[in-house]
Amino acid sequence: MVVEQPPAVVASGVSKSYGSIAALADIDLSVRSGEVFCLLGPNGSGKTTFIRLLAGYLLPSAGSLRLAGIDVVADPIAARRRIGYVPESVPAYRDMRVREFVSFMARLRGIDAARLSTAVERVVELLNLQAVTEKPIRALSRGYRQRVGLAQALVHEPDVVVLDEPTNGLDPRQIIEVRNLIRSLAGRHTVLMSSHILGEVGRIADRVGVLLDGRLRGTRTVGDGADLEDWFLSLT
Amino acid sequence: MTALSVLLRKELHTTFSSPIGYTIAAVFLLVLGYTFSLTLFATKVANLHYIFHQMYVLSVLLVPILTMRAFAEERRNDTLELLLTAPVHEIWIVLAKYLASLLLVLGIYLGALVYAAILDRYGEPDWGPIWSGFLALTLHASLLVAVGLLFSSLTENQVVAAALAIGSFLMLWFADSVSTLLPAPLDLIAINLSLIGHFRPLATGSVFASDIVYFASGTMLALFLTTRRLAER
Repeated sequence: MVVEQPPAVVASGVSKSYGSIAALADIDLSVRSGEVFCLLGPNGSGKTTFIRLLAGYLLPSAGSLRLAGIDVVADPIAARRRIGYVPESVPAYRDMRVREFVSFMARLRGIDAARLSTAVERVVELLNLQAVTEKPIRALSRGYRQRVGLAQALVHEPDVVVLDEPTNGLDPRQIIEVRNLIRSLAGRHTVLMSSHILGEVGRIADRVGVLLDGRLRGTRTVGDGADLEDWFLSLT
Repeated sequence: MTALSVLLRKELHTTFSSPIGYTIAAVFLLVLGYTFSLTLFATKVANLHYIFHQMYVLSVLLVPILTMRAFAEERRNDTLELLLTAPVHEIWIVLAKYLASLLLVLGIYLGALVYAAILDRYGEPDWGPIWSGFLALTLHASLLVAVGLLFSSLTENQVVAAALAIGSFLMLWFADSVSTLLPAPLDLIAINLSLIGHFRPLATGSVFASDIVYFASGTMLALFLTTRRLAER
């Protein structure tokens, strides 16, 4: 018997307003456990706002948002334990060394001293960071900083990984590496990411949702991605 | 509490590895040593009243420079987004920054114990006012750090944060002078808000609960408002 997993992310009527300006309006979305879901839309469409709501950085003005079954408004601390988040700017303490930073984020996310070393080594290996663990983050290239950002997001083995424009500013080789890494997370983690590059979505995501002017215009499975462009044009 | 200790360790590392802290400490102790020598040779009196007043003035001017980075820099570098999306309560983030900055200021104040030791070596100081003076400085520093953090949480510009903090400290300092121009009951409110009005009795050996409550409640109010500010989403 196949037991269907409950959805990892459920948004019901989610809206976010800044005064009279509506950044997001009435978003209904369900992301299945273990899939890679990509929010596609132009700059200013509301992708980052939705991702920040999910990460708990912002609170919705209306509607409900559940992550791994936990209401992000009613129980924000429990919800944040289940999520790994990399903002678009990939922030990090630039004076910290890579291992120090990942360890700090791991401790902050509740990894105790007994498990710390194993957890940090796991992500250092997963992200191929062995060569830079003792380097200060300010000395790293954009590609390495992106990997460090992913390492801190994965170190506590979250159910949901949320990535805001994860390939932004990377060179072609780094884009391929990050894309492969995200694909490798599928199954073990649910990945919700944003992008404004249509071609990228077809290569990374299982499903895609188009966000435009703060409204979710439609969702679909990517499949072979052949008619993705026509579908996108029809919605926009 | 684990989150607090993790955050505090990070804040202590940041605070004590920054050249700003050491520069402030050097300036503070240099000016203080200069003033102490001048006062001692001029008055030949074995007390630290004048030194405590100097420390009060220097703290008003220098503590905002220590606290201005606390949240402003985190906001500018987007690292505040990392902290606020981690599974920790905002109060722990605020308390970690508050304790780290306060420990640095108190560490600088410890340097002034040398002057008390010199007085003890060459004179017969009354230790009561000296201890109450250090209590006054500790409470004063606690309030300044908490208010400095509040202003740092309001902006991503460090200079604006420092300017706002210094401005508000100066306003509070001179609040009792302003009271002469105000009608009742505003004059009474101004007198009770006065920073120096609550510092001076403690620094000269008169310990009143009202003065301690003033500094403690001001500190708690500032920390509460800073936490509220971070919780705004």
